[in-house]
Formats: sequence, structure tokens, C-alpha cells
Amino acid sequence: MTLTPIELERYRRQMMLPQFGEAAQEKLKSTTALVTGVGGLGGTAALYLAVAGIGRLILVRGGELRLDDMNRQILMTDDWVGQPRVFKAKETLEKINPDVKIDAVFEYVTPENVDSLVHDADIAVDCAHNFTERDRLNAACVRWNRPMVEAAMNGMEAYLTTIVPGETGCLSCLFPEKPEWDRRGFSVLGAVSGTLACLTALEVIKLVTGFSAPLRSELLTMDLDRMVFAKRRTYHDPHCPVCGSQNQSLSRTQVTTSLSDSLIEPLKSSLADSPENSLVPNY
Amino acid sequence: MAVKVLIPTPLQKFTGDQATIECEGGNIIEVLNALEQSFPGIKARLCDEQGNLRRFVNFYVNSEDIRFLNGAETALESGDEVSIVPAVAGG
Repeated sequence: MTLTPIELERYRRQMMLPQFGEAAQEKLKSTTALVTGVGGLGGTAALYLAVAGIGRLILVRGGELRLDDMNRQILMTDDWVGQPRVFKAKETLEKINPDVKIDAVFEYVTPENVDSLVHDADIAVDCAHNFTERDRLNAACVRWNRPMVEAAMNGMEAYLTTIVPGETGCLSCLFPEKPEWDRRGFSVLGAVSGTLACLTALEVIKLVTGFSAPLRSELLTMDLDRMVFAKRRTYHDPHCPVCGSQNQSLSRTQVTTSLSDSLIEPLKSSLADSPENSLVPNY
Repeated sequence: MAVKVLIPTPLQKFTGDQATIECEGGNIIEVLNALEQSFPGIKARLCDEQGNLRRFVNFYVNSEDIRFLNGAETALESGDEVSIVPAVAGG
């Protein structure tokens, strides 16, 4: 996709990076990224993808802005409290970079919408604040063979990896079960979710452009309390109920017939928590 | 067999806010039993009632997932680092 004179000027400084150049910028421009969860993590990742010149962003997030979001959700403004976050995110990003096409979807990730959302995107960025949406997105990315950047945090700790179906393990390989989780109960400092968000956006940019080395089959763990960063090998389970070879062929057959989650979701529902769960993390 | 265990923040309430614990153990299970002796209650967060490792917590010996090795029976050498990484969903 050819760059306009304005785009050539806007992105000039990043195209100066060795092995980036116009070719990488054109790849970014021709990419659609799906970002689920537009909060301290997803909203900030979307910001850095927008300023980097991604072609199109699909932002997915239900719910209205709360005052206690404002310590980290940097696309929001104080006067927007009580309004749907995702529309303000679109407005802010369009003001910052009008060349990026932005679709705002005022919904959570559901069994009904997940397949069409993933199908429309080249890459997914998993930033939801609960395991249910994360598991749904992971399963759909496996079904549709889309890479997914997995980013999650709790307090001063965070982790990041890139999942490429058929090549790396998936989220279910990494963690076959999920603990109970309170989506509003985790502590978060904006600089921590923002740090993870920048690395998440960087991971997307690397994967899309082929520039530099993404975290394929590696889990980057970050302890921002002690400032310890480490990379660990991610497990790939050949018998994974989501991406294992037998189940993958079953799920693709299912998608061909009805595009529904009816086969996969019962498998997953026994593993996943409820987004309404109010218990503390149980580990 | 002295190994270093990295404790994730939610479990540091058991360890008196210590992020790193030196303990003895020839494999993962022995390390968990040693941790439980020093910090009662911590093992139940990492193992179910049957004593199996919980499947929403990963254990790494140095940088390797123990599922690539010998699971809970994975042998440890002096100086190994055992990391405990729980699934989280904050965003």
C-alpha cells in the first residue's frame, strides 16, 4: 500500500530505523489490528499502534468510563466519565492521527461476535481484563489462524508473549486453567499498564513488519517492583483442547458449518471464569 | 540442594513480603514441601487437594517450563532458580 507525502513525513523518523524503511511502513498501513479491552493496557497499546501508522484499528470494549479508570486510561478525559470508553478512544486517536481508520465496537468479546471480529483482522491484541474474553479470543485466533499478542498484568507484575497458531503454543497451552479473578480487583499503576502496553504495541509492529525479533515461543515476565525482566520458553501442548492437532481440525470443521462457538465454548467454559466473578485471585 | 525460588507478589503475603526464598529440595515437590514448612498455607495455593500442581500456575526451572522436563518430579541442582508464574488477566 503506497504511502502519501504526509505519511512519508509523519513516519520519517521511524523509517530511519535500520531494516524498517518504507517497506515496513507500508506493511503497517495495510494491517488491521483488533484490540480487545481498551483500558490502561489496550488503550495505550492502541495509541502507539495509531501513531506508528497502523492502517486500521478495531477497538472492542463494553462498559462506561469510571473515575477510577483515569489513573491509567490515557485516551480518556475527565468529562467523559460515565460515557462509553470506546467512542472516546476513537475520537482521541483520530485527532492524533487522522490517517488511521478506527472502528469502535461497544461490546465485550462474546461467542456471537468473536469470529467476525477476528476474521476481519490480520492480528489480535489481547488486553481484556478477564479470562473469559481472553480465552474466547485465543480460541478464535486458533480457528482463523491469526497471530495474537498476549499481554496481561497484575499489580507490579506483567507478562507478554506472541502466539502464532500452528507455530507456537496458545494461551490454553500456556495456562490450561484459569484462577478466579476479579476484573476490578487487581491493583494497577498507570505507568505499569503503560509499560506493558508499549511493549505490546512494539510486539505487534515487529510481527507485522518482520522488523526485529518478536517473542515467538517466549514469555517475557516483568517484575516492575524489582525491575527484573526475564524470558522463558512457552509450553506447546500437542494435546491442547484448543490448538492441539485433533481439536483444531474439529473446530475448523465446525466453523465451516456454522461459524459458531458451540463446539469450542463448552470445552472452554469449564476452564474459564465469569467476568462478573467477584472473588480474589485464587492462587 | 539449595535452590532459589521466585515468589509472585500475591503469594508474598505468606513469605513476609520476601520475593526470593532460598530453600532445600531435590525436585519441585520437595521444594514446595520445604516452602510449606517455612510458610504454612502457601502450598495450597500452588497444589490442589490431591497434591497436583495447579494448572493456572506455571513453574520454570531457570527458563524452562517444567512440563518440558519432568513436571513436579523435575530434578533440581544446587543454584537452580525456580520461578512461579501465575495466570493473570489485568489489562
